[in-house]
Order: sequence, then C-alpha cells, then structure tokens
Amino acid sequence: MTETQTRELARPPFWRDIRVLRIVGQVLAVLVVFLVGRWLFSNLIDNLNRVNISTSFDFLSGPTNFQIPFCGECWVIPFQSRFNPRSPVWEMTVVGIKNTFLAGFFGVILASVVGVIVGISRLSENWLVARLATLYVEIFRNIPPLVIIIFFGFAVFTFGPFPILAESWELKVPGTDDNFLMINNDRWGIPGVSQVGEALVFFIVLLVVLIVAILIWRWRTRVFEQIGEPHHRVLWFIGVVVVGLVVAYLVSGAPFAMSWPELTENRRNISGGFQMNWGFMALTVALGLYTASHIGEIIRGSILAVDHGQSEAANALALNAFQRYRFVVLPQSMRIAVPPTINQYLNLVKNTSLGTAVSYAEITALTKTSIGNGRPAVQSIIIMMAVYLSFSLIISLILNIINRRIQLVAR
Amino acid sequence: MEAGVKRINETDPNANGLGGNQGQRQRNRIRVAAYVGRFCQLTFQTDGGEMKRSKLLVAFFAFALILAACSDDGGGDTTVAGGGEGGGTLQAVLDRGELNCGVNETLPGFGEVAEDGSYSGFDIEFCRVVAAGVLGDANAVKYVPLTAEQRFTALQAGEIDVLIRNTTWTATRDGQEGVNFLYTTFYDGQGMMVPASTGFTTLEDLDGANICVLSGTTTELNLTAVFNARGIAFNPVVFEDNNQLRPAYEEEQCEGWTSDASQLGSWKFTIESEGGADQTIMSEIFSKEPLGPAVADGDTEWAQVVNWSVMATVQAWEFGLNSGNIGSYSGTDPNILNFIGTDNFDPKLGLPSDFAVQIVEQVGNYPEIYNQFAELAPLDGSVNDLWSNGGLMYVPPYR
Repeated sequence: MTETQTRELARPPFWRDIRVLRIVGQVLAVLVVFLVGRWLFSNLIDNLNRVNISTSFDFLSGPTNFQIPFCGECWVIPFQSRFNPRSPVWEMTVVGIKNTFLAGFFGVILASVVGVIVGISRLSENWLVARLATLYVEIFRNIPPLVIIIFFGFAVFTFGPFPILAESWELKVPGTDDNFLMINNDRWGIPGVSQVGEALVFFIVLLVVLIVAILIWRWRTRVFEQIGEPHHRVLWFIGVVVVGLVVAYLVSGAPFAMSWPELTENRRNISGGFQMNWGFMALTVALGLYTASHIGEIIRGSILAVDHGQSEAANALALNAFQRYRFVVLPQSMRIAVPPTINQYLNLVKNTSLGTAVSYAEITALTKTSIGNGRPAVQSIIIMMAVYLSFSLIISLILNIINRRIQLVAR
Repeated sequence: MEAGVKRINETDPNANGLGGNQGQRQRNRIRVAAYVGRFCQLTFQTDGGEMKRSKLLVAFFAFALILAACSDDGGGDTTVAGGGEGGGTLQAVLDRGELNCGVNETLPGFGEVAEDGSYSGFDIEFCRVVAAGVLGDANAVKYVPLTAEQRFTALQAGEIDVLIRNTTWTATRDGQEGVNFLYTTFYDGQGMMVPASTGFTTLEDLDGANICVLSGTTTELNLTAVFNARGIAFNPVVFEDNNQLRPAYEEEQCEGWTSDASQLGSWKFTIESEGGADQTIMSEIFSKEPLGPAVADGDTEWAQVVNWSVMATVQAWEFGLNSGNIGSYSGTDPNILNFIGTDNFDPKLGLPSDFAVQIVEQVGNYPEIYNQFAELAPLDGSVNDLWSNGGLMYVPPYR
C-alpha cells in the first residue's frame, strides 16, 4: 500500500507531469482564443477602414430621420420626452427597446397563463378537455413561430373579420359615451391614463407607500414565524398599496386622468387611451400561444414528476382537488418546472425579433431600418446584440433568484 | 413533511464522504486529474496547496508576458484583406467566369422571378450587360436577390460584385456606406399611389393617414422629410418587401403607397391587370431618385469596367446601333469603328476590344432593353430619353 502510494506521488519529468500539462494546456487555449479573436477583430477594422466606413459610435447622437411606425408622438421616456423624426438615433433605440419589452412582457404573461391552463388540462380526467389541450399543444408546438406570427398578422388581424380604422367597432362603457374597447384591422384602443398635472409629488408619495408596504410585509412574515398567526401578507401588501395610491393621487392634486380612446375627426386615427397596433397584437398573441404550448408540456411533465404518493397522502388528509394541487403537488412541481420555463421565457423574448415580419417596430426592425438608411451596420448590430443579451441576462437573473427561493433549502 | 426528511439526509455528514478513507480519495483525485481535457480541475485544498498556488502564479505571470509580447506587434501583419488587393474584383470575376449581381426579385419591371426560376427586368438586363462586356457571355450571371436593407452590406462584404437593384444615388450612401455609384440608368422620382375610389389628388388629402412604405429605402426618409416639412401628419407602415406590402395596401390597412413613380406604375399595372381595384398615381413627384449600378469603394478599375459596359448601351443608341445591325456595320465613322473595336482599338479600360458588340448583340441597346418592359412608362419624350431628344441620357464620348 505505502509503496504504491509513493510511486504514484513521485513527480515525473515536467513534460509528462499532468499538473504542469494542465496549466500549459489552459494557457495555450486562452492564447489561441485571444489571438483568433484579435485577428478577426483587426481584420474587421482593417476592412472597414479600407472602404472608408466609420467605426465610431458618433452616429447615435445624429438625427434618426425616419418616422417610427405607430410612434407619431410616442414616449421615449414616459411623461418626459416624445419621439419625432429629428430625435437622435439613441432615442430610436430606446423606443425599440421599449417595444421589445412590451411584446416580451405581455407575451410572457399570456404564455404563462395559457401554458399552466393547458398543462393542467392535459392531465385532466375529463376526456374532452384533455384531448383539446393535446390538440392545442400539437398544433402550436409543430409550427414555426414565424409562420404563426404571419398567420396572426395577416390572416387574423389584417384579413380577418375586423373593419377598417374609419369604421371601428366601439364597445362603450354602459351609460356613457366613453369607448371601453375599439376594434379594427389597424390598431385597437383600450382606456389608458394620461398626465394632466405635475406628477413629482405623486411619485414621491408612491415611493414612501411602497417602502411602508414592504415593511408591513416583513412585519406580517415575522408575526407568522413567531406566533403562527396566518400572515395574509399579500392581502396586506395590496391593501396598503391601493390605499397609498389613492392618498398619493389626492395629495398631489390629481395629476392623472383616465384617457378614453376615440376616433379623430378625420376618422384616420385613434386619439387617447392605450393603443395596440396590429403588429404588436399579432406578435404578442402568436408568441404567447406558441410558447404556451411548450410551457404546457413543461408543466405537465413536472406535475407527473411529483411522486404519486404525494397525491395519495393529500387524499388521505381529505384535501379536495384544488387543495391537493395548490398545497401539495404544484409547490413541488414548480421546483422542477422553473429552470426549463426560464429557457422558454428567454426564447420568447428573443423571438420578438420576428416582429419585423408584421411591421412591428421592435429593436431588430428599427436597427435594420436604421442600417438601411445609412447608419453603420457593425456598430448598430453590436448595440442590438447588447440589448438582447441584457434582456436575457436580466430574465435569467430574476428567475434564478426565484428558483433559488423555491428550491429546497438545506439548513 | 417530505421536505423535512430530505433536508436531514442532505446534511448527513456521512453521506458526502467526509469520513472516507484518505488513500482512496488520493487515488480518486489522481484518476480525475488524468482527464486532461478538464482544464479547470485545479484543486488547492489538499496537502502541498501552497506550492501549487505559487506554480499557478508563475504560470499566469508567464502567460501575461506572452500576451504582452504579442500585443506589441501592431497587428497589421495578421490581417488578410477581404477584397483581394492584387487582382481586384475584375480579376476575381474573370477567374470565376461568372458575375455575382445583387438584384431585386420582387419588383415587376425591374427585377422579378418567373415561375421557372428565371429572372427578368430592367435591372436584370443590366447585370447581363456587365457580364456580356466583361466575360463575353450575357448569361454568365449569378443573381443574388437582396432586400433593401441587405444590399449595401452584401456589397461591402464582397458577396456581390455589382449591385443593380433600383438603388438611389445619395451622398450618404456614396460616402458613409462605402458605395461607388456609376452611370444612372434610370431617372426616377417618388410618387404616391392611392385607390382611385378615394378621389385623393394631393398629399394634403392624406393628413393623418397610414402610408405603406418599404423599410430601409430613401423613400422612407423622403416621406418623413416631405410630410414633416409640409406639416402633414402620417403613420408609416413599413414592410421588408413588396409582396408583404401589397396585401396590406389592398386590404386598406394604409391609404397610400409611396415609392418610386416607376415602381408605382408597375404595381398599378400589376394590380389592375390582376383584377384589383383601380389605382391613381398622384401627379406630384416629390423627390429625385437616380437609379443605377453601384460597386464597392476602393476598386477604380472594376468601377470603370462596369461603368463603360453600362454606358455602351446608351452609346450604341446614340450611334443608331442595335442588336440587329451592330455586327454588320460597314460604315466609315471612326467613332463607331473605335466603338465596335475595329483594329483592336483599346482605351485600356480593362475590357475586351469587342465588348460593345458583345453587349449590344447579346442584350441590346438602351431602348431595346427598356421597351421590353410594359410596366415602365413610355420611353419617348420621358426624362430617360436620349439627350438629343431632350432627355437626360448622355454619355462621355468613346474615343
């Protein structure tokens, strides 16, 4: 035993010493990567210089010179500055980021809600519900997202049953003349909020309210941990925020007002409210439903992955079906579902770049237009890649934090 | 309940091998180390850790030295220029025996694909002109269909030798995009088309309307400039190609379609001949759009080869030569004799002396090319007529 150990530990010459070779290997690998990268980069710069193409980022402060679709006077920074064709290129980028975010955000919400419903329905004991969910999954999972987007963009919203803008269907709030919903084949209108006064006080009060609400959340959590009284912290939190919103609104002198959508006099536009153009709706709905089919499968798989004994134990405790899902099965399946769902969210946000097919002004479409109008391609694409990278990293970060919180904690 | 059980298991000190046999672990560690591919398996925490750490430091120091040494060399010598410095594009095309020509495939009259996959159109003919002039074979062309946004990148990257894709010559494109514009083959201007049923006649009628336009085009910029200058509100609806734009326009998602007047003319022709609604093109032309071939900056030899090939079609027109009579010219005009390469007249452009004959015989002179396409406005008396007829087609003398 001792002899074997001694022989093994004796140092061989350095060119055969695994410990030396390992370090040399790493150094060589890094060196090769570095040199190849440097070669490619200097190649790029040399070739750009050869044909006299600028390599600086100065173009960001130059005027955009084109009108962003559905952004006649849209916000660059909410309630601060609006976009117009003379705005600098970086403001165009901000509008693109905002539009990408909106499509991604509502797409993720739609995908999650539909996905959970479909996933649970797939396991339903009701024959019809289960088969319909299966049909849904198989249809949407097996068609490329671009095709679904074009289908919704052209077949549903453009050529669908909806009238042209001038003849919009108007759903009114009962008893008033305000439009609750306006439907046409161009842009749908829903009620929104507009600023009518100075809002600084409102936001300060709101910040205070939020801090108070968080403190109350902590207090309820502590009470629960110490004396076991039900914490109801979500209810408390919402209650405080709602009361706080009302107080902030009144204290700051009502700086906001409801804004109802209505046709302009020439019947060519909708003024007021929040407007969703057809490209946005097609992209969000298509990506939401497409991703939902994947999320549904993840949910189904993760529910099946929870040991059957858990359900049986829940039955033995006389929990009803809802309680069994809510308190026993779902909390355990969520742990399995979260990591693959993160991937689906990332895919959805990256897929918003397909919005360019339906004239939706997200960051890819705007960057391409901007390149076509004479902005340098390399720098513009670097910025675009940085935007998507940031989106993906932020989503990963948030969901990894959630993931860590719901995983089993070893104390 | 289950969670609690698991928790205890996971924290069981015996479960993770802390109490294991020391010799066994040593052997395991060496076995693991044998996987040379695992670069990052450096472990410090065992005996002799101090020594390993110092070796690692030495290694990193050496690495830093190497990096420093190779960062000093300026970097110029590691570069390979993409365009090819020695032979240039002309030599590359001759070696390849084929011309890569960037074209539009979705614009009737200028460039479109037939059902059998063949290309036809005014711009396509000029690809054939260049191929006939340079290679002596009008069919030695590889057509590369490009969107408006891809075209300059494709040219810069050397994917195509020449771009003939209804591209407007502008200062920004000439300078910033690294593009070299050559002889203008078609003088165009931006127009606005509306369904005839609307009765609109001026741009002001379109106040607040949706306007369909292709993205990444000069028309998009010019639409914004003109409408803003006149204080007309509008909302652009942008598409990447005309095949997406047309259904949106026909479904009244936008009330106006703006583009070069020649394109609108060809779409009006196409829509009406396919049974669509009647269309009106407003009489107002609100921009200058000179369209012509473009090559990448930095290769003058190639630029002049393309330029003179294209201009030969206009020169032949001026001389009264066409595909029927150029081969059998028997006159004594010295200019024409030079032009058709008698006695191997060679102005050292880099073209064969009979290039003009090849071009006109295989493709045709300017009006022969132009009149093939019914979608284009009549040539006679238009701005694209010969200078001697009051048009703008005027080429430098070939002598």
